[in-house]
Amino acid sequence: MTDTSVKFANVTNLNELERQAIHTSSLIQPHGMVLVLEEPELKIAQVTTNCYYAFGMTAQEMIGKTLEELFDPFQFDIIQRGVTQENLDFINPTKMWVRKNGDEYVIFDGVFHRNRDGILILELEPAESQESIPFLSFYHLAKASINQLQDTASLKDFCQIIVHEVRKVTGFDRVMLYKFDEDDHGAVVAEEKLEHMEPYLNLHFPASDIPRPARKLFSSNWIRLIPDAYAEPVELFPATNPHNDRPVDLTLSILRSPYQCHLEYLHNMGVGASLTISLIENGKLWGLIACHHLTPKYVSYELRKACEFLGRVIFSEISNREESEDYDYRMKLAQMRSQLIDNMSQSENLVQGLVKDQSSLLDIAAALGAAVCLNGTWTLVGETPKEEELNLLVQWLYKNIDEEVFCTDSLAEIYPEADSYKNVASGLVAMAISRRNYVLWFRPEVIQTVNWGGDPNNAYQTVNSDQGLRLSPRKSFELWKEEVRLTSLPWKQVEINGVKELRRVIVNIVLRQADELALLAQDLERSNSELKRFAYVASHDLQEPLNHVSNYVQLLEMRYGEALDEDAKDFIGFAVEGVSLMQTLIDDVLVYSKVDSQGGEFTMTEVEVALEQALTNLQRRIRDSQAEIIIADPLPTLKADGTQLMQLFQNLIGNAIKFRSSEPPKITIGVERQEDEWLFSIQDNGIGLDPQFGDRIFVIFQRLHTRDEYPGTGMGLAICKKIIECHRGKIWVESELGQGSTFYFTIPVGGRERDLRNGRKAKDYSFGGGQ
Amino acid sequence: MTLEMDEKPKTILLVEDNKADIRLVQEALKNSSMTYEMVTVRDGVAAMAYLHQEAEYATVSRPDLIILDLNLPKKDGREVLAEIKADKQFKRIPVIVLTTSKNEDDIYQSYDLNANCFITKSRNLNQLFTIVRRIEEFWLTTVTLPSQ
Repeated sequence: MTDTSVKFANVTNLNELERQAIHTSSLIQPHGMVLVLEEPELKIAQVTTNCYYAFGMTAQEMIGKTLEELFDPFQFDIIQRGVTQENLDFINPTKMWVRKNGDEYVIFDGVFHRNRDGILILELEPAESQESIPFLSFYHLAKASINQLQDTASLKDFCQIIVHEVRKVTGFDRVMLYKFDEDDHGAVVAEEKLEHMEPYLNLHFPASDIPRPARKLFSSNWIRLIPDAYAEPVELFPATNPHNDRPVDLTLSILRSPYQCHLEYLHNMGVGASLTISLIENGKLWGLIACHHLTPKYVSYELRKACEFLGRVIFSEISNREESEDYDYRMKLAQMRSQLIDNMSQSENLVQGLVKDQSSLLDIAAALGAAVCLNGTWTLVGETPKEEELNLLVQWLYKNIDEEVFCTDSLAEIYPEADSYKNVASGLVAMAISRRNYVLWFRPEVIQTVNWGGDPNNAYQTVNSDQGLRLSPRKSFELWKEEVRLTSLPWKQVEINGVKELRRVIVNIVLRQADELALLAQDLERSNSELKRFAYVASHDLQEPLNHVSNYVQLLEMRYGEALDEDAKDFIGFAVEGVSLMQTLIDDVLVYSKVDSQGGEFTMTEVEVALEQALTNLQRRIRDSQAEIIIADPLPTLKADGTQLMQLFQNLIGNAIKFRSSEPPKITIGVERQEDEWLFSIQDNGIGLDPQFGDRIFVIFQRLHTRDEYPGTGMGLAICKKIIECHRGKIWVESELGQGSTFYFTIPVGGRERDLRNGRKAKDYSFGGGQ
Repeated sequence: MTLEMDEKPKTILLVEDNKADIRLVQEALKNSSMTYEMVTVRDGVAAMAYLHQEAEYATVSRPDLIILDLNLPKKDGREVLAEIKADKQFKRIPVIVLTTSKNEDDIYQSYDLNANCFITKSRNLNQLFTIVRRIEEFWLTTVTLPSQ
């Protein structure tokens, strides 16, 4: 049986419990009297039917009388002044003497309050002066209790002392400290009682034992006394308030009779009298101090107030104690968190940083497993469900959970598929970073035994009575053991807070990385345009002085040629040649630098057109060398820069012609479709090259021959390589010395864009994508 | 066309910052039989001042032909070209861009700015001399220049 089945057992009955509006009951406990008054003349509008005993008049006779007629002028004066004050605490309680007969007086503790409709209500309880404690002794009692509390180490001992002190002050047979859980069921955490009584310590009680209206009542009325659980209640006369024809709201009344079902509950527990003190934390009912007596027992207003005071003081201490018990743990969590954050900021990859210290990642949520999902890729730590299970879980989270940090200690209850991996993930904390990117923590199922005070599945039953069908609480409160399954140990609030804090940091890191990426792109763009500018400067500003050297040396030769000897002419020749080579080098470097900066104008390009253009440019060299060019395969149309492609063919075919053997060159151009790229080949029958130089030839300015053997700058293949890199392809050569060469290059089928995107993805830079 | 105008010697404005280049042009035209005046200014600002007959150029005659280098100090050759071709008074004067640059962008931009022709200086001295002499011959004898 799980917790859930308890909550939903006997749905109709429990719903009725929730519906009962206890505060509108106009039944009053018979040990006191309630007078509903009209202001300002303090006229009696309603009164309890037991008034004859005190006033010697029936309720009918009392209606319409003013307090002035009931009390002597001295008392009335005090009352009249008191009720005009904003704060009624100043006259509460007021000792009130009522002359019953001749010199026979009855003394009452009179307590005034205004209900939520603003109606003034006076409640009279017989004063039992002999039991009232003088202020000083109350002070000592409270002080002693508090001193003792401050020396107490654990929260449990502390609660034990509270029940001990309250029992000492009030003399109840049993005093319990009852703490509400998250789901409103409660457990007895401390108990002091007569020895022979059945212990309730550590027993759990279903939420329906104190239904919602009752809990609401406890929140507004901090102290409730039922001096005699068997007393016949009395009624207000008339039953409804003559002004609005409605039952008067008695929420804040101390004499209001408890609901019949609650009385029966007490009867079944064997309780004759009860006192309940509410413990409120931040406006929420944290728990109760519940006092039970086997026989009827009256507790004076002052003593009750003292208990309430004690309850408040003690409880503020409990709150502090709970906080400081959390404190050490919170500090430990914070320390681990900062370790994780350090790791993340030091590592380029967020996920790597997060999982670097695996034990910290787990301990930060006291989990046994953790999983990080980044763009569909999982990183698993410790005990986790399988990846395919996690994929479904994340889909479910994405659709159903809005919280940035979500936690449950029974995943299978809301997500039945989790039943199959309850051994690792009955408890889940899910931290959403961005769309479908999550960090998850897991806790395994822990089968727990909950001790109930009586069978919680049959907390109430319906009985037929003379008033018709009504609810009746269970008769037995004996230990009833329940096994709770599909549930992990609960997540503590401090753990969840820690995860939330971690999330904030991660989101900041992700945002910062996005900024850095944007800056990087800007820098690249800037350096790219600077490079472009540099290339232009190189072409013009470097060329110009070279041209001058060249031109003036030639002018020297032209004008003074006859006056120079052969050596001088040779020297001039070398100077002109050097300048000319320098000019070619500059031209080639310029071409090389342009390959990158011109990229970006990729269009659908017919390879055949680019090749034809290259062959046209090489026309003379082909003719002179009697080269044979064979195009072996039909050439595709692909996304590329046509000019660059033409240059590529021109350089490669030009090389094949240049490095020809003694035979006329035979150059075969082929292409085949690979999985997602085109593989081109250009095969020749030239001099070939030693395979050890296969990489070297693609490096800028690298040559295998002197310029006397083969002219050139050593830029041609470097330019080819750059063109291919620009197209996200590869280029290489297969050759043997004297056996000809085959140059291969690839171009992706989808063009550069597709691979660009893949390239970025592969970088795995951050949680980025699709936030 | 009047006689007076025909007799008036033509003026060529050479806008070129580099002494060596100026000298090469002069060397190329050294033995020319034609009569005209060749004036030289060394930057873009001076070129515009000359055209507008400002300050020291108050008394100069307006050029019939302009030979313009692109990369100039103070005011770039492209700006000078743009200003000339945007100005009603000057836009009919033929402008010959003579530069070291072979850059396509420069070629396109020059024609876009209505340059009358674009010529790259040759590295070979003989070719360079030939080019300069052909400019002289073509623009001063073959072409009919607009009257002032």
